[in-house]
Amino acid sequence: MNDLELFPYPKNRLQKTDLDLAASLQDLVQKEIVDKRLELKEDYRGLLEPNLNKLLVEVGLQRMFWPEKLGGEEHNGPEAAYTVAAALEQVGRADTGLAYLAAHNLALQASLAMRENLNQEACGRFAPLFCDGRGPVIVSFVLPVFGEDEKAPAWRGKSFQVRARAASGSWVLNGKGVRPTCSGADAHLFGAWCAVEGEEQPAFILVPGDAPGLSRGPEFKKTGLAASRNADLDLSGVEVPAENCLFRGDLEYRRLLSWFYLGVSAAAVGGLLAAYQILKEWGDNRVIKGTGNVFKENPLTGALMGEIAQDISMSRLLAYDLAGMLADPTTFGDAGSDMVYTAALMIVHHVLATAERALHRTMELMASAGYAKEWQLERYWRDLKTVQCYVGSHELAKHDFARWFYGARTL
Amino acid sequence: MRGIDVFSRPLEYLTPLGEQVGEIIREWVENEVIPYRRRFDEDYLEHRLILPPFKKLLGEYGIQRILFPEDLGGWGLGHSDYLCVAAFRMFEEIARADSGMAVAFGVVFWPLVLICCEPHVNRRLCEEFAPMFTGTTEPVFSCLAMTEPQGGSDIENVEVLKGSTIRTTAVQDGDEWVINGHKLWPTNTGGVADLMAVVCTTNPGSRNPDDIAIIFVPCDRPGVTQGPAYEKAGMAADKNGDIWFENVRVPLWYRACGPGDDAKYYGEVVSLGNMGSIAFAVGVMLNIYEKLQEYANRKVYRGLPLKENDAVAGVLADFATTIEAVRIIGYQCARMCDRQDLYGPRWSPEIVARARAHRYFAADRALEAIGKVMNLMECFGPDRDWDVEKHWRDIKMVQLWLGGKQLSQMEVARWFFECETL
Repeated sequence: MNDLELFPYPKNRLQKTDLDLAASLQDLVQKEIVDKRLELKEDYRGLLEPNLNKLLVEVGLQRMFWPEKLGGEEHNGPEAAYTVAAALEQVGRADTGLAYLAAHNLALQASLAMRENLNQEACGRFAPLFCDGRGPVIVSFVLPVFGEDEKAPAWRGKSFQVRARAASGSWVLNGKGVRPTCSGADAHLFGAWCAVEGEEQPAFILVPGDAPGLSRGPEFKKTGLAASRNADLDLSGVEVPAENCLFRGDLEYRRLLSWFYLGVSAAAVGGLLAAYQILKEWGDNRVIKGTGNVFKENPLTGALMGEIAQDISMSRLLAYDLAGMLADPTTFGDAGSDMVYTAALMIVHHVLATAERALHRTMELMASAGYAKEWQLERYWRDLKTVQCYVGSHELAKHDFARWFYGARTL
Repeated sequence: MRGIDVFSRPLEYLTPLGEQVGEIIREWVENEVIPYRRRFDEDYLEHRLILPPFKKLLGEYGIQRILFPEDLGGWGLGHSDYLCVAAFRMFEEIARADSGMAVAFGVVFWPLVLICCEPHVNRRLCEEFAPMFTGTTEPVFSCLAMTEPQGGSDIENVEVLKGSTIRTTAVQDGDEWVINGHKLWPTNTGGVADLMAVVCTTNPGSRNPDDIAIIFVPCDRPGVTQGPAYEKAGMAADKNGDIWFENVRVPLWYRACGPGDDAKYYGEVVSLGNMGSIAFAVGVMLNIYEKLQEYANRKVYRGLPLKENDAVAGVLADFATTIEAVRIIGYQCARMCDRQDLYGPRWSPEIVARARAHRYFAADRALEAIGKVMNLMECFGPDRDWDVEKHWRDIKMVQLWLGGKQLSQMEVARWFFECETL
């Protein structure tokens, strides 16, 4: 049995095409990323960028949702949630950062091109960029953050980083020192959830990376996610066509986030599966206490290994549960409904917290090998912690949970 | 804004010397380390940024001489009953800037404890090596070579394995030891160390403590080869690498304490290593407290500084509580190691177990608390410019070294519950 199959997931709900895609991705990332990373480490130009192209363009993840007539695969029913989960856990197993980038791309596709909510106009304008085969489209989001300058308008307590003003046939955007969720140095499209001057309702506006008035700061150093070369942005009177505003409502915004959180959860599960494979090799071969016993046969370390496997299993099941909710809006409601959004937020936070714990423990078991780059484990630990921070503060997420479960109104 | 001195320390344990040196080190880290530390990760092989501040601290300020007897040019701390509390203060001050530097600093003295400290001062070796440390303004580094490719922390598991898994051999040939073997991971390797203490066996496979030998080897001896520094998740200032010993010859009297005593006092370095690790955790958390103060005051949430939000305040309180508790435990551990008249010898299984317990509790709590701080800071948590993530990466290593957590758990259980077969 493939060792990744040891961890249960609702295989019966996946279509054959999902399973085939996952199998081919498993082979691809093994050959192109996992087998090369000892030599290429986290080299962006040598390893990560070429593989982003392979995944998004050659495999076609960035064409997945778009209508066929626009060059896409039109795999745009809600059942695509399973495809996203199956694909991104394989990518995440090789490199959590690449999967994190792909999660942005797929969430944007899902929010525009989902069959039930197809935005014809936006698809017509943006699908060619994703489907022309000329290169990967790196999508980044600019979301409200927890605590900003005092004057920034707020949404659910978070401060908007960008303000938008409606002009004649266009939007004008301003923001200083804006921190995107990924790839500030490279992104081709920034999706910004903006405060709108004079109006209560925010707007989600797409900003091309080459828009006049958009400037990128230097790439800053961070804990992990080498695939995401991030930099802060300044938007100084950036003008984009009025049609670049994709939606104004909370429902659509939450829908985008629900799909994003699915992708991130699957990426995290991928990181956990990678950690399992590294630990398994360690547990099979490491002799301790000079007795000839291998690591996994010791009652203490064996129990801890078991607990890690439990964490991975539960995380995988939760990620697929979220896929199941998004795949069945008839039963669970729209992806942007309060209930589904809250569940998605809970699951992504739970999976990432579990991943942090499991990676900590895996490193503990491997001691020095846990933090030596040669063993390849520590990069998942750094990547997953970075993703956790970018997804947002757990303290604020808990307020969202309280809003839904307890009817809290002023948090 | 309140500073780092608000956190509790048992004032009755403090000593004038420790406090004075602590203040000197605080000024040194402010001027010589903190302004440069964000570039240390990329300096892990060359130490172009890391070595100059060490030259000032160890060589020019002369702190590398503190353990040696005063008549040999040292400060005589090896004869004192306040060494550990003073060391704790120094370690936490350095770790506040960079815990990698703190461990590199601590390990300068770690093997020297075996020859400089009462009641097992090896006067002849002190006389032999004191000039290396006292007669120069260049920094001099030591290392303690324990871990081997097979078995990892088995070497540190002296109480159970009694040295039976050590494969680095010391064979007597006339009036010399001939050493052969391969060690991994010692701090201050990768070409840094000038003097090392090597844990060897004089009789491979033996479980007789007499056969465990800790032998000093100057690193320029023929047959000593150091590999390059490993690339790690953090702690760039602490170079770790392979060392190979191929027919390395040193005089017989380079053995630290002698048959039986080398094994016995090995427990002492384990205790002190654990005590130091707690100081590193405290230093790291003190700096994060400073960063968090800045962050929670600067960021605004619903019109008020972030710290004024009840949910945020809960996280801040937990962090402060962790520092309070861990710092008190750390100073208590240091005091316990100092006052052997009250607590018993610091190489005893009892003190080794207590120090292990204190260390793994401290490291676990610190790691958990720092992880929550990073999460609170959202996308600024992993940002190197805020320094918190660096400490998070570093403190993970503090948790894992010295045999890791599971070995610590076994030693703690063995002593507190009198387990016999673990």
